[in-house]
Amino acid sequence: MRRHDREIMRFLMRMTRDRDDALDLFQETFLRAYRAYPQLDSEDGLRPWLFKIAANLCRNRARDRARHSRVIAPEADAEMLDGVAPHYSNHADRAAPAAALDLRRAIAGLPGKQGQAFVMRKIVGLEYAEIGAALGCSEESARAGVYQALRKLKELR
Amino acid sequence: MSLKNMNDQLLLDLDREADDDRDLDATLAEARRRFEKALVRERRPIARVGVIDSPVGRLFVADGPRGILAIHFMDGKGPEPLETMRGKFDIVEDQAAADRIGEEIRRFVAGDRNALKHEVDLSLVESDFKRRALTKLCKVPLGSVVTYQGLASAVGAPDGQRAIGNAMGSNPIPIYVPCHRVIKSDLSIGNYGGGVPRKLKLLRAEGFAVGKDLRMPAHAVMGHQRTHIYCRPNCSAAQRADMGRVYIFADPERAQRAGLRACKICHPV
Repeated sequence: MRRHDREIMRFLMRMTRDRDDALDLFQETFLRAYRAYPQLDSEDGLRPWLFKIAANLCRNRARDRARHSRVIAPEADAEMLDGVAPHYSNHADRAAPAAALDLRRAIAGLPGKQGQAFVMRKIVGLEYAEIGAALGCSEESARAGVYQALRKLKELR
Repeated sequence: MSLKNMNDQLLLDLDREADDDRDLDATLAEARRRFEKALVRERRPIARVGVIDSPVGRLFVADGPRGILAIHFMDGKGPEPLETMRGKFDIVEDQAAADRIGEEIRRFVAGDRNALKHEVDLSLVESDFKRRALTKLCKVPLGSVVTYQGLASAVGAPDGQRAIGNAMGSNPIPIYVPCHRVIKSDLSIGNYGGGVPRKLKLLRAEGFAVGKDLRMPAHAVMGHQRTHIYCRPNCSAAQRADMGRVYIFADPERAQRAGLRACKICHPV
């Protein structure tokens, strides 16, 4: 598992844009993986399997945050939909130059699976087959997700 | 900016993003530290496993923190222990630990009666009944055997000889938990998960010389645990005995060594 922890962390940092959240999700990902490891069929599937756990946790977190923000501050919804969550600290973003910051915000604003597929492919460097396995879709739809994400990023810039 | 330039710029930015590890190393170090801490609470006991060549064939062995967890005849019929173990233990390959067990087995088969020093851990046994039967079986002294029916009586299920057969069949630690010391009530040798030749080899290593007809040695005697008397198998007292308290010894001498005296009805000397 140690072989993949660096790229899992890179994925989580880009998905959450928050160091503390990334740390929490990292721990949760690997604890879940540790508990379920005996059920894993083969070592070949380890990488997509770890990303599947991490992606599911990111999805849960996004859902919980959306629910939370609806209860606490209904007016924050519009900002959340823009893909920018301004109410929590972005430690990782602080040092980044403005252009990179824009790109990170834009990536974080991509819709669920597209954003995850995009980060897995373009930032972490997974194969499309692995992305498909991690996101529970076909290789083609993973490829399509990355393509759509790229198109959206180009439109935004 | 033209579309092509926009594309190039985006790809360039993405490359830069992928290489941008400024915070990653520090965060990863912190994450690893936290995970190790959390793992301490999660960690399961370790099972050290390995494969050894022994006088009774190729064996898969697993040693846990409280004793041997599993011995599996790799060409035998017994249960495959690895899958059961995965749920309860962290499995680590450790040939040295396996070799230590292998050395004990080698000495045991060569005739060293006190060679088997490792404790056994019956936590891979599925049911309470089977665990009780195997625990009882461990008390059957070396150089003697017990019948399936006798063992069933001993665990409080006098009609449970078939269940005892199943329990012996799923014994996860043959040799150390001596399921080779269980025979049929007609005093024939019965079956064995690792094959009858291995059962004979182990019994003979313990000094229980079973003949070629697979029946008990001619001088075998029945030792009664309650009365501390041993009889010939056809003695009227032996017929009335509670089978749960009877061990069959290879010869009178072994029975005497176990602290029993000869029956005054059948004079088995």
